[in-house]
Amino acid sequence: MKKHFSVLIALVALLAFVAAPVFAQGATEATKAAGPTTIELWYGAAITEAGPPPSDWVGFQIIKDKLNIDLKLTALPSNESDQDVKIQAAAAANNLPDLFMVRRDVLTRLVPQGLIAPVDGLYEKMPVRTATHYDAVSKNHAKFNGKTYGLADPGSIIKNEGLLIRKDWLENLGLSVPTTTDELLNVMRAFTENDPDGNGKNDTWGYGSFQEINNYEAWPGRRLEPIFGAFGVEGTWNMTAANAGLSILKPEFYNAMVYLKKMVDEGVMDPNWLAYKKDDFRAAWKQGRFGIMREQNAAFAAQSNYAPFDKNFPEGEWMIIDPPKGPTGKASVGPYTANFRLYAISAKAAKEGKSEKIAELLEWMASDEGYYLLGWGVEGVNYTKDANGIPVAKNLPNADLAFSAPGGQTVTQLRNMVFYNGDIELYARYPKYITETSKKEMSALVVLRDMQTRTWTPAIGSDTLPIPNADLKRFYEQGLSEFITGKRTLTSENWTKWLDEFKKLGGQDWNDKGVAFAKENNLLN
Amino acid sequence: MKKSLFKNKSGYRKVGTASVSIKPTAADHSFNVLVDVFLAVLLVIIAIPLWSTITLSFRPNDYIGNNLQGMFLAPWNWSTSAYKALLGNQGFILSFKNSFLILIGGVASALFLTIPLAYVLSIPSLPGRKYLNMLIIIPYVFNVGMIPSYLLVTNLGLIDKLAAVFLPGAISTYNCLIMRSFFEGIPNELKESARIDGATEIQVLMRVILPLSKAIIMTIGLFYGVSFWNDFFHAMLYLNSNSLQPLPILLRNILMASGMNEYVEVNAFGDAPIAAIKAASVFMSAIPMVIAYPFIQKYFTKGTLLGSVKG
Repeated sequence: MKKHFSVLIALVALLAFVAAPVFAQGATEATKAAGPTTIELWYGAAITEAGPPPSDWVGFQIIKDKLNIDLKLTALPSNESDQDVKIQAAAAANNLPDLFMVRRDVLTRLVPQGLIAPVDGLYEKMPVRTATHYDAVSKNHAKFNGKTYGLADPGSIIKNEGLLIRKDWLENLGLSVPTTTDELLNVMRAFTENDPDGNGKNDTWGYGSFQEINNYEAWPGRRLEPIFGAFGVEGTWNMTAANAGLSILKPEFYNAMVYLKKMVDEGVMDPNWLAYKKDDFRAAWKQGRFGIMREQNAAFAAQSNYAPFDKNFPEGEWMIIDPPKGPTGKASVGPYTANFRLYAISAKAAKEGKSEKIAELLEWMASDEGYYLLGWGVEGVNYTKDANGIPVAKNLPNADLAFSAPGGQTVTQLRNMVFYNGDIELYARYPKYITETSKKEMSALVVLRDMQTRTWTPAIGSDTLPIPNADLKRFYEQGLSEFITGKRTLTSENWTKWLDEFKKLGGQDWNDKGVAFAKENNLLN
Repeated sequence: MKKSLFKNKSGYRKVGTASVSIKPTAADHSFNVLVDVFLAVLLVIIAIPLWSTITLSFRPNDYIGNNLQGMFLAPWNWSTSAYKALLGNQGFILSFKNSFLILIGGVASALFLTIPLAYVLSIPSLPGRKYLNMLIIIPYVFNVGMIPSYLLVTNLGLIDKLAAVFLPGAISTYNCLIMRSFFEGIPNELKESARIDGATEIQVLMRVILPLSKAIIMTIGLFYGVSFWNDFFHAMLYLNSNSLQPLPILLRNILMASGMNEYVEVNAFGDAPIAAIKAASVFMSAIPMVIAYPFIQKYFTKGTLLGSVKG
């Protein structure tokens, strides 16, 4: 009897186990009741480590009341490759959300599979948003076979970095601002050897950097673009019609490498530059390790970012300078490209008739109500407006909930969907302030405007050019590192030999494909 | 006569049950010193990054110096701002709670499923045992990959549920085989004697096998626990709601923070240095496992079945 009972239990358990997927599937196919349209949005968080908007966020209710949309938010992982994995796994299961942020590389793979809906017809349904967010370059950015498959929102501010030098060090050593590469080298030597901070220790260097590489700023990366710009080889690609192609294949690249090698050999560059990550680099300039760097405006001048330097060196002062001119008179802070945040609509959502609702949602986000709510929060709680109508974090009942304070971060997580680098945002984002220790007036906006006036090299679309395969990329970066560190002797013969190997490995092919792509897409200047 | 290889207190090696002793030679002493030095160096190599992380987590905002100097920063100069920022952050507390739920649910379900499977596979007279073993080992060797797993979890309706993080991995083939080997090592006579007394298989498992298997259960439980506590990938893939995010996801976001938030006036955790917050979050997420491990360690080395078989 007991045996039969055990067998019976086992059979029931097996039946339940087999039946579970059936019931699970059935549950997901329940008929949709009339009511708000549910839109699932996978967004890129403004502050990755802060939480999402709380469940009682007023935005959800406003969107439901005004647009009849039940908005379900999911923050994408902070790391791009994790984002790609999540999106591609969902795509493989035909389970993409209705609206989601996606990188262009991934979008190019999803479009041919029919998983993404074209959005050409939506621009006219979002006139306000289209006027502020989408221009011809942006519409072209996600165009495949004549149709646009992604809404390319303006990304980060362009030309927002600059070459900075310690003004107090120059004054201490009686030096003037360097304007050429030769003068720059002399200043770097002085900063390294002549104790510019007067502390009696040999603990300073001329130039500080770290390897910050992307597909349009190849090795040695963004922080050394002002150096390479002096030789006309800034950026991965030369985007001029007359001389299009990989910068590394230009003869001037060798001259730039010789100059960089000199910097390293003479010890005027912070020796940790090859090991530094971004955090380390930023900690280093705040600790007074070096006197010349390329840095981003907010990372340099925003209140919380500048505060440690201000505390450590109340007498210290940085100034923005023009990039140095090279032997042929060229100069550039570096290449700039128009970067975008792409939002795609899944084909599944379009089939369910949600495209129009998504357009309504996006248009509402671009309205005054949506713009201020998502950008700064609730007036009187997270921000107030000054006399010019600029949101500020003053006169608030609870300062911890200010849009710029940690407590206010969650309610502005979607701000990247509404910001378009307009004046209001910039004034609000980068207010003037008085530093705590040295009582200087600082403004990241003033710094930005100054940086944007310096010489930059337009390279729009260079970030969409073909990328090398992993082996070629490794050969490229490793080879250049070896030349600079001395593992390979940097002579013109060795350089030519190495370049020949590079071309044979696929470098020439990469160059040719890139030039062809740029010509086909009218990207050359 | 059994040989004993244990040294007595005076360093003499006792051989056999007789009172003959071998005096350690100079070579023995040299070897011991060499081993001690090697282990000490190894300890220092292992301790350096740990100590560096700890001191970084206590680094004050106005610290001037490099990472090496920071390791020798006096404790009275340490700042707890990073820990205060983390412990005061609701998101961090919520992630901790989610990780604990995954840990407890995961270990419980994993042991609940693994123990019976391992026991069944250890019974020599089980019909189709060979076939069953193959059914388990083949998928272990030839992993289907991420997409079929994702499809399975989606079709089971587990997307955006905590169970999606631990249920797909609730039975680890490797752990199951280890446990099976252990159960196979338990003398059959014990099981037979229980069966003769009228015990069912479940009763044999519960009343004979499990009491003798504390060591292996604690060990496998720890393996599962560490795996579930540190699981980032399944949480990232299957969980959409931020309220369900466990600690590894938050940790990843914190560690990526400075790379993403260049345009932010403040970081989400207040004024504490971002590097200190990263180090503090890494340290705090490791604490539960570090605390649990010493309690379970004795089960790794404990002997089993001493004196259980008589006659």
